[in-house]
Amino acid sequence: MVFTTAVNFIRARGPDELWRKRRIFKLAAHFIGRKRNCYSIAVRYVHRALVYATKGRKLKKLDMKDLWETRIIAGVNEHDIDYRTFRESLYRSDILLNRKVLADLAAWEPYTFKALTDVAKRRAIDDGLASINNEHKVDGIITRGALTKS
Amino acid sequence: MSALKRVQQWATFARIWHIYDATWQNPFKSAEVVKKFLMGLYKPIYHPLNDCGDHVIIINSGEIALPGDEWKKRVYFHHTGYPGGASWTLAWELHTKDPTMILKKAIYNSMDGNLQRRHTMQRLHIFPDANVPKSLLDNVSNQIRQLRPVPTRLDRYTAEEVASYPKLIDYPKDYIIR
Repeated sequence: MVFTTAVNFIRARGPDELWRKRRIFKLAAHFIGRKRNCYSIAVRYVHRALVYATKGRKLKKLDMKDLWETRIIAGVNEHDIDYRTFRESLYRSDILLNRKVLADLAAWEPYTFKALTDVAKRRAIDDGLASINNEHKVDGIITRGALTKS
Repeated sequence: MSALKRVQQWATFARIWHIYDATWQNPFKSAEVVKKFLMGLYKPIYHPLNDCGDHVIIINSGEIALPGDEWKKRVYFHHTGYPGGASWTLAWELHTKDPTMILKKAIYNSMDGNLQRRHTMQRLHIFPDANVPKSLLDNVSNQIRQLRPVPTRLDRYTAEEVASYPKLIDYPKDYIIR
């Protein structure tokens, strides 16, 4: 059918019914039972699934952040420094690595990660952060503060 | 250090056995510590699905120390499922019935309730005293540090130690200690 007047466009509900439904059914293809076969049921669950997907994009980032933090905490605890001090000291040392990179280093590059904790510890001792003291062992990092304070 | 050895991590995927002495330790604070080893949270490769948890043997669970008056105030709830089947057990009662139960419940409750939790609990071995089967003890390769040092009771000090302890004052000869 061809519409020539603009008024009739209001009643036009998109493309052909088959294609309109097909778009929904394609999204519902992996559902179970009538949720995938009956349009009126499928469309409700597709809408719900899309809402979940929207929320999930945010949640995935939060979940990954939690996982990376867990891994970094596991890494820093091996080297006798706590997470807050570690991140704060790295920031003060202008080592701007994010959680993802730090977690990867903790798992795959343990010696690199140890060097980072050493830098952080030296920095924290030099800056006098409360959670750390001179009794913490620091390997191979020499700063002006290390020379004057020891 | 060679390029290969740089990332060499022996026993990363092995199950390690830890031992923890619960003497005079707070079971609820200890649960947070033990949980980390049970679930593998202390490993940088941790992932909830990768099954990297370890075994933990807890000894002397009969010697735990509850904070404050929790022995008298903490209540454990149980329901048989039948009408009138509810029961409330005080911590000291539960402890006399089974000296491992308070620690077990503390650790169980410290973890999230998911399908993995019961399997994780299978890796926990609690003993009320120091009598651990040798087959378990042979596996142990790490000791978990206690939360706080166990103090010696005053009546366990020898007479020489008490006598040689530094004093600020000596009581006068005629002073009567009530």
